[in-house]
Amino acid sequence: MSDEFDDIQAIFFEECAEGLTTAEQGLSAMQAGDVSAEVIAGVFRAVHSIKGGAGAFGHADLTAFAHKFENVLDEVRGGKIPPSPGVVKVMLSAFDILTDHVESAKGLAPRPVDQAALAALEQVLANKGADDGGPVAAPAAAAEVPAGEADAFGFVPMAVSLDDFDAPAELPAADAAWIVTFKPSRAALANAGEPLLIIRELESLGGEVVAVDTSTVPPLRDLDPEDAYLTWTLRVPGEVAESDISDCFDFVAPDSIVEVRRDEAAAAPLAEAAPAADEFGFVPVSAGIEDFAAEMQRVVETIAAASPAIGSVETPAIAPKAGSEAQQTIRVDLGKLDLLLNLVGELVIRNSILADRLSPADRQRVELPELARLTRQIQDNVMSLRAQPIKQAFSRVPRMLRDLSVETGKQILLETVGETTEVDKGVIEKIGDPLTHMIRNAADHGLESAEERIAAGKDPAGTIKLSAEQRGARIFVRVQDDGRGINREKVRAKAVERGIISGDAQLSNEEIDQLICAPGFSTADTISNISGRGVGMDVVRSNVEALGGRVEIHSVPGEGTTFTMILPLTLAILDGMIVRLAGQRFVLPLAHVLETVQPEPGQVKRTSPDSEVIDMRGEYVPVKRATEIFGLNDDRAIEDSLVVIVENEGSGKVGLVVDTIDDRREVVIKSLDQNLHPIRGLGGATILGDGSIALILDIEALVASTNRFTPKGLAA
Amino acid sequence: MTTTNDNAGTDRKIVTFSLAQQTFGIDMRALIEIREWDEPTPLPNVPGFIKGVTNLRGNVVPVVGLAERLGWEPSAIHARSCILVVHIAGKQAGFLVDEVNDIVAIGEAEIQPAPEVETIEPSVIAGLVRIATRQKDGTRDEKGTMVLLLDLDALSLTKHLDIAA
Repeated sequence: MSDEFDDIQAIFFEECAEGLTTAEQGLSAMQAGDVSAEVIAGVFRAVHSIKGGAGAFGHADLTAFAHKFENVLDEVRGGKIPPSPGVVKVMLSAFDILTDHVESAKGLAPRPVDQAALAALEQVLANKGADDGGPVAAPAAAAEVPAGEADAFGFVPMAVSLDDFDAPAELPAADAAWIVTFKPSRAALANAGEPLLIIRELESLGGEVVAVDTSTVPPLRDLDPEDAYLTWTLRVPGEVAESDISDCFDFVAPDSIVEVRRDEAAAAPLAEAAPAADEFGFVPVSAGIEDFAAEMQRVVETIAAASPAIGSVETPAIAPKAGSEAQQTIRVDLGKLDLLLNLVGELVIRNSILADRLSPADRQRVELPELARLTRQIQDNVMSLRAQPIKQAFSRVPRMLRDLSVETGKQILLETVGETTEVDKGVIEKIGDPLTHMIRNAADHGLESAEERIAAGKDPAGTIKLSAEQRGARIFVRVQDDGRGINREKVRAKAVERGIISGDAQLSNEEIDQLICAPGFSTADTISNISGRGVGMDVVRSNVEALGGRVEIHSVPGEGTTFTMILPLTLAILDGMIVRLAGQRFVLPLAHVLETVQPEPGQVKRTSPDSEVIDMRGEYVPVKRATEIFGLNDDRAIEDSLVVIVENEGSGKVGLVVDTIDDRREVVIKSLDQNLHPIRGLGGATILGDGSIALILDIEALVASTNRFTPKGLAA
Repeated sequence: MTTTNDNAGTDRKIVTFSLAQQTFGIDMRALIEIREWDEPTPLPNVPGFIKGVTNLRGNVVPVVGLAERLGWEPSAIHARSCILVVHIAGKQAGFLVDEVNDIVAIGEAEIQPAPEVETIEPSVIAGLVRIATRQKDGTRDEKGTMVLLLDLDALSLTKHLDIAA
């Protein structure tokens, strides 16, 4: 039971994470000026379901906070509170606290200090209260009262206020109490839908159990311990919003009986009996308050029982979710997607084997092209399942910057570009940490304080630009600040002080910039809790390299610094050339290939015992033998080989010597580190049509290793 | 197929195989499958004991020459050479062994700790256990054979490379 409970709770926390992401995106959109009903409703739904789940799992603090937050959102949604920048700001900070509450509920963080945020929300609610003159406590419920019942509600407070009794505590508010009937189904119990949790939640709203119907409980010998027999009737104060009550039943199996009805019978007879108000006035005098209340309740229940249809609402526990969300999603274990991808890969391979073995006429006869087209579509679709917009990784940045802004006292604006760039899920998960470090670094070290910026003639608010774009088979993620730039003298001095470089080392600007990523390097004069422990950028580099990518730093003093993470698009289909090196097949990514030449005698010349160049129409291009880099035996004469001219950003053209070119085809990249570790010079492996494996060449790494001793080598 | 030890307490099953005239064993639970030897695709820039990678139903799995890995003479490939595909620390790897012998149930209590001997990595051998072996004619050899139980986690490829790096 408790294991099951934990599992369900784990799902709840997953949903929380999604809800928080949705809420933050919505709030950010609102902050940016998009206050459409859709956006607001999206945020409301997200907070609402977090609250619902939290209640069911007994996270009282989270529930209470989410409840208050939801109240404000509900008012904004209902148009009662305008989504002004001020209100959105309050909601953004409430969102931050909500995030902390979720962490706290997970047991990962202490309970956050939420008084300030609660007070701010309260303030927003109260200000709205001034608009319509209604009491603050009841707005949510009042907002849902149908117009036709206004008379009855208008009447009741008068009757009470005319009375001279001290405390008409039983019927304090304008709204008739709710009568909630709850009969869990057998399925609800089987699914660990503990009725006690729901009843406790209702009690926390001020509800009380007024009756438990035990009439269906069979004699002991017939009793099935796994069946559900009890029906509870609860009374919940009228000022509680109906949505709050239905929330309690969010996780109840759909075949359970849940009825929430407004006990308007309590008000209706009073309204009808208006001329007889005197009579009612006498009753309490003779019988006392308690008796009056009891009598009232009896009447209320009798009438309610007699007219169950009036105002009764079948709580739609599942329906609204399914109906109102435009985009339906299901949760799938990533492992299953990987398996599916592998199977589809196999299917593609079988397809090409089939194509190889059939004659062109037979291919047409069995409609192989059609099969191939379908297979390709399936493959594309499965690929796209794993691809996620990089937005997911970016979405936690706004919150981080809000915190950083408070911590550093700097004004920071965030610009994001290319959020919809799709990246493999695995990459998104792994760039989170490096991104965090880069953003922190930019906010802490990159941007100046407002005074410094004004003195430098800049806008007092610093800007951090976060961008993502796909170029060929790589993803470029940039964090660009418009701050002071890297102080190279300081960096250099620090590196010497830390013993990272020797005092007389001759370094280019790029090399100095790169020192930021050296282990144990930090230029902050004082260690702040934001960054400055000298681990940040080191971690960035090692994480990115572990993904088979690299980090580039570009800085202009006084104008800012750009960090670029260049990451592989893993699992993408690669358009490649199948080449042979010392007889073994390799895949050369076509994106890098410029041309292929069969060298004439004398076209390739040695410039030193270890290096060669090829004369390409007067341009001398360095030639690299991949066989040497990989330590393969190759005594083939250069004239019997082919030279593939490849070009790589930053490194220029390089000629790679290969034996032959076999084929050109699209291949599925399989990472080597899934079962091994990344190998320098290889971008992965792929499975060819005959089931054998071909290794994919990583041109960037191969070319970089040719330049190992040039200044660029350090930067690459 | 399965032979049981005479002692009570059959706690777990091991797969026994021969390698460099020794009998080794690994926990059955780690075993994914046993395949025939098929020349893997060699990898550049890796230690010599990594023979290459092979295609295991769409997964690229490294193949390790277990004999070299453990410091013995490399196995000669013959008709009964096979690859034990195992789970190690969340990854898959194939081990080239000379011959797979049997699946044996052993009691946890029967396992003796490996004596402190001079090896490069003493932790690779998790323990020693004596098992009864079947003869060719089907009778039991009561004297039994000593099996070296391997600690697969210690053989993790990435772990080894981390240490080497």
